[in-house]
Amino acid sequence: MKLNSLQLTNLIDLMVTAKAESIGCDGCYELMDQFAQAELDGHTVPESLEIVRTHLELCKCCRDEYAALLTALRAISE
Amino acid sequence: MTEDQDWLERLRSSDNQVRDDAISQLRELLLRGLSRSLTNRYGQPFSAEDVVQDALLKILQSLDQFEGRSKFTTWAMTVATRVGISSLRRKYHRDVSMEAFNGDDGYRIDIAIEASSGVGSAEDRQELLTTLQQLIEDVLTDKQRLAMRAFLSGFSTDGIAERVGTNRNAVYKLIHDARLKLKDGFERAGISAEDIKASFA
Repeated sequence: MKLNSLQLTNLIDLMVTAKAESIGCDGCYELMDQFAQAELDGHTVPESLEIVRTHLELCKCCRDEYAALLTALRAISE
Repeated sequence: MTEDQDWLERLRSSDNQVRDDAISQLRELLLRGLSRSLTNRYGQPFSAEDVVQDALLKILQSLDQFEGRSKFTTWAMTVATRVGISSLRRKYHRDVSMEAFNGDDGYRIDIAIEASSGVGSAEDRQELLTTLQQLIEDVLTDKQRLAMRAFLSGFSTDGIAERVGTNRNAVYKLIHDARLKLKDGFERAGISAEDIKASFA
């Protein structure tokens, strides 16, 4: 498969932003409600949840899901 | 009684009227939230009604897993969002090219080395891309190349997992490890992420 220019840009971006982390998508999902709650309440995210932030920076799928969750939660709190 | 305890008690009530009222109230909340968050996402038609029905079933089956680390409604919306976004991604993936999963070419990932653009010199970029091509061939496994090229083709990790019969976490790990291997390969060659960013900015 030959990469087009957008795919090549995305591959380079995936590579240069890579960093070690301690949780994957499952671990992120387990903590996502807690992380969202802290953000919604305007609280400082506890250090124990910073691993969620790191995963969200690295994983577009979880980042999209989290963005949708925040939108939904804000909609029901209006 | 806290609001969360009230939700749990009513959703578990043996009084049908109490339980049905709680389910209706929760359905209303989920509908409002998902209608806002998932409509127009992935360019797919979206029926919040269908998703909320599935989400409610999952939530009611999983009440024991609510640990009170967030509000009950936050937890329930997290479950519902997972159900909704997974459904949307399944529909979206039907329209994405399946070329990435065809292994006739040995899951190659080929780069047009001469066609890149950026602010650095063309020679530097060509050298970096030649290194990248070599690393892809030398350090990535077949599974990592398959996952990476499917991801670059527009599949989400759960979409790839569904196609290859594994789970989202395993696919994420394949891609994550591939990213680290490529980055490490460059660093071993004395080329930092900053060097690469500067050439392709």
